[in-house]
Amino acid sequence: MLGNLKGLLVTLSTMLRKPVTYQYPKEHKPIESRYMGFPVLMWDSQISEPYCTGCMVCVRYCPTQCMTAVMKDNPLHAEGVSKRRKIVDSFEINFGRCIVCGICVDVCNFDAIEMSHEHELSKYARNDNRSDLTRLLEMGRNYQEETGWEPKTNAKESEGEASS
Amino acid sequence: MSLIIDVGMRISLILGLLTGLSVVVLSLVWVERKFLGRIQMRMGPMVVGPYGLLQPVADAIKLVAKEDLLSPWVDRIVYWVAPLAVFIPSFMIWVTIPISRDIVIRNMDMGLFYIIAFSVLSIVGLVAAGWASSNKYAVLGGFRAAAQLISYEIPLIMAVLGVAMLAQSLNLQEIVNQQDTYVYALVQPLGLLIFFIAGLAEIGRTPFDIHPAESEVVGGPFVEYSGAHWSIFFLAEYINTFAIAALTVLLFLGGWLLPGLSGGAITTVGIFVFFAKTYLVILVIFWFRGTYPRLRIDQLMSFGWKMLVPLSFINIILTGCYMFYGWPAWLMSIISVTILVSVFWLVSKRMNNTKKEYTVHIYKPESSEVKNAG
Amino acid sequence: MVDQDINKKLDTVQMMVNMGPQHPSTHGVFRMVLAVDGERIVDVEPHIGYLHRGSEKLCEGEIYVQIVTLFDRLDYLSNLNNEMVFCRAVEKLMDLEVPERAEYIRVILCELNRVASHLLFIGTFGLDVGAMTPSMYMFRDREKIQSLFEAVTGARMMHNYIRIGGIKNDVPEDFDQRMRSLIVELKKGLEEADKLLSFNEIFLARTKNIGTMSAKMAIEYGVSGPSLRASGVPIDIRKDHPYSIYDRFDFGIPIGEVGDCWDRYYVRLEEVRQSISIMEQALDQLPDGDTITPTRFLLRPPKGEVYVRGENPRGEIGVYMISDGTDKPYRVKVRPPSFCNLMTIKDLLIDTYIADAVVILGSLDIVLGEVDR
Repeated sequence: MLGNLKGLLVTLSTMLRKPVTYQYPKEHKPIESRYMGFPVLMWDSQISEPYCTGCMVCVRYCPTQCMTAVMKDNPLHAEGVSKRRKIVDSFEINFGRCIVCGICVDVCNFDAIEMSHEHELSKYARNDNRSDLTRLLEMGRNYQEETGWEPKTNAKESEGEASS
Repeated sequence: MSLIIDVGMRISLILGLLTGLSVVVLSLVWVERKFLGRIQMRMGPMVVGPYGLLQPVADAIKLVAKEDLLSPWVDRIVYWVAPLAVFIPSFMIWVTIPISRDIVIRNMDMGLFYIIAFSVLSIVGLVAAGWASSNKYAVLGGFRAAAQLISYEIPLIMAVLGVAMLAQSLNLQEIVNQQDTYVYALVQPLGLLIFFIAGLAEIGRTPFDIHPAESEVVGGPFVEYSGAHWSIFFLAEYINTFAIAALTVLLFLGGWLLPGLSGGAITTVGIFVFFAKTYLVILVIFWFRGTYPRLRIDQLMSFGWKMLVPLSFINIILTGCYMFYGWPAWLMSIISVTILVSVFWLVSKRMNNTKKEYTVHIYKPESSEVKNAG
Repeated sequence: MVDQDINKKLDTVQMMVNMGPQHPSTHGVFRMVLAVDGERIVDVEPHIGYLHRGSEKLCEGEIYVQIVTLFDRLDYLSNLNNEMVFCRAVEKLMDLEVPERAEYIRVILCELNRVASHLLFIGTFGLDVGAMTPSMYMFRDREKIQSLFEAVTGARMMHNYIRIGGIKNDVPEDFDQRMRSLIVELKKGLEEADKLLSFNEIFLARTKNIGTMSAKMAIEYGVSGPSLRASGVPIDIRKDHPYSIYDRFDFGIPIGEVGDCWDRYYVRLEEVRQSISIMEQALDQLPDGDTITPTRFLLRPPKGEVYVRGENPRGEIGVYMISDGTDKPYRVKVRPPSFCNLMTIKDLLIDTYIADAVVILGSLDIVLGEVDR
């Protein structure tokens, strides 16, 4: 019977401790700095264009094939402002399919895509959770301001295609 | 004319009792969820109303608004009657339970007998619910419920009988009035424990909640009931809980009496004292629910028949000897406590002998050399 | 006449009870059809396959870096152990050397994952028996572990952290301090579960001498992991075929005597303690250095086949891989521990009560993601 009584004492002691609940959605549990949320595109504010050149390496190596991209000739390169010959024309990520694995970030040669801290992106219909280029760049700008993001490598002066 | 007034007064009393009981049940639902939450280191309901106080109201609205699913092959009449057969006896008990010295709907001279007789009737309702649902899980749950409830009636009745012998009356108000010098819990701790455990088994609470066992036969006899039908079962369960707690307080813990309280104040302050004591007992019931796993049906039955029934008979024999030979009260309590302690010790020893406890040992293979990092 | 009446057998009818795929205690989508005589189980017919996602076939169409994400999701409670066994298989094919620091960090995180998995087992086992508070306490402790995983790997569950050749990136600077404070809290939480559940008389009555698996039966069915050790067979892959750097740590393995549900539960509880001791030793010995041996992104391992085994919290997980020289494997076969452990369910459940069926199934600690792949 002693075991029974010890159990009662344990619950008595936890009764008197502070509860560990975060009352969502009023309070949020703090996110770690390395948290991998959904991938977003980065914006180069010095030249006012996205880092992404539309090379489609991330599209190729995504395990769930959740992204599509189209590339175009960069008008700013013709003017001599930017070093990127090609730039992304349209980019779509289906967040419903994304498994947040981070492989797209690992393979990107231009530091153009990063895992943001976004995780509250639920929608009501199955294929509604898709983001186009404008939305991705906007979320990327939020992420850059929030964390003070700097590119890991200097912007590579490479041709439009990346070699794997 | 006077007949109409008489009938009108009785009907209003009954309606008042129903309302009062419903309010009590709502408060019990809130207290249970908050208390269990605190035991589990989380907050209970916090969103509906300040600190979740309106949560039971939201629950009630949800239950009433739910769709009433009925399979085509249930036995309709029995299906409809079963919740009533469970609810009405638990409600009828409250007609004679006094809340304070003179506040009772109808004080009966054989009040205790009436209460015991009516509480047995709800077993029929449970079996009927299980049978009518024509679902194998429900049938299993219903049979388990019947077996459990019938076998734990005997220790309950014997424990109550012990108190009745001490007080020489079956009238609940008399019993409480007799406890003004010392409460019966001090004289009969064995009786209190037996009554409490048998009461827990009667209302179907952990560790004896095998029949609604939520992780096996999900819901037991209530598995096919939804919405308003189920809310009647729910109501009956909480009214029963409150009734067992109230009976514990009245029979063993002195009811509405407090040392130092006398005169006319007993009637008014007594209400608060009664409710405070009852809620304390209810908190202990919830505390048990948060701590213990549940017993299996055959272990439950063997515990009831092999342990509680002989103990309750010993309790009665002791009380009889005490009354016949005129022993002083402290001798009774000492003998009771001795019996309790020796039973615990015997049971633990027997369990330690037949089931060795530490059967897991750490094994370090001798051939493993601990190589240091290079 | 009287004798004949007495000798005539009572005719009873067997009932088929379906513990269907949706049930609060079958630990995943698993279906058991029980033939029940009163409360005694007479026959069991398990049905699996509700969670089959074709993982092994998917592996044939993905490059090696992407397969790590698939292995994460096999046994979804012990992600890092699965990743590690796959990466070790590829490293063995390619004869790749993993730096010291990466090995140490891998071991620390794998043991932490083992602790998290066993804590969840303790919580859900309590729920099966009917006690609802241990599960809340264990989830509170698991939350702390998952926060640490989030700080190190970036994700709470599907980490994708252990890569071929090492680990993805280095641990943050406050790793050591956070780990040590976490270890202190885990020890306290484990003591709570121990006092609340292990020697509670009701719990003992529910789990002692229930579902006894003899050592002979366990070895015949290929059971591995804590269920095997609870039956008295002292086999642990970390001790018998030490992989990675497990031979540098001093830890014991808990062995049971009887092989009933209580032994299986207590072996896992003791394993948490041993894992905590391994983590402390590894933290003390953690060297500096690289965290990954750089490889090409599109790995092309040489042609060959390899079988590598590791110790999951559930038992022996094995990966048999055939590579044909291209960047995608030819065949990846996983030997799941839960599948082999689950094969014993028919023998264990015959002639027990329905209430015991839930407890025995819970004590085997299966994860349907592994059983069905």
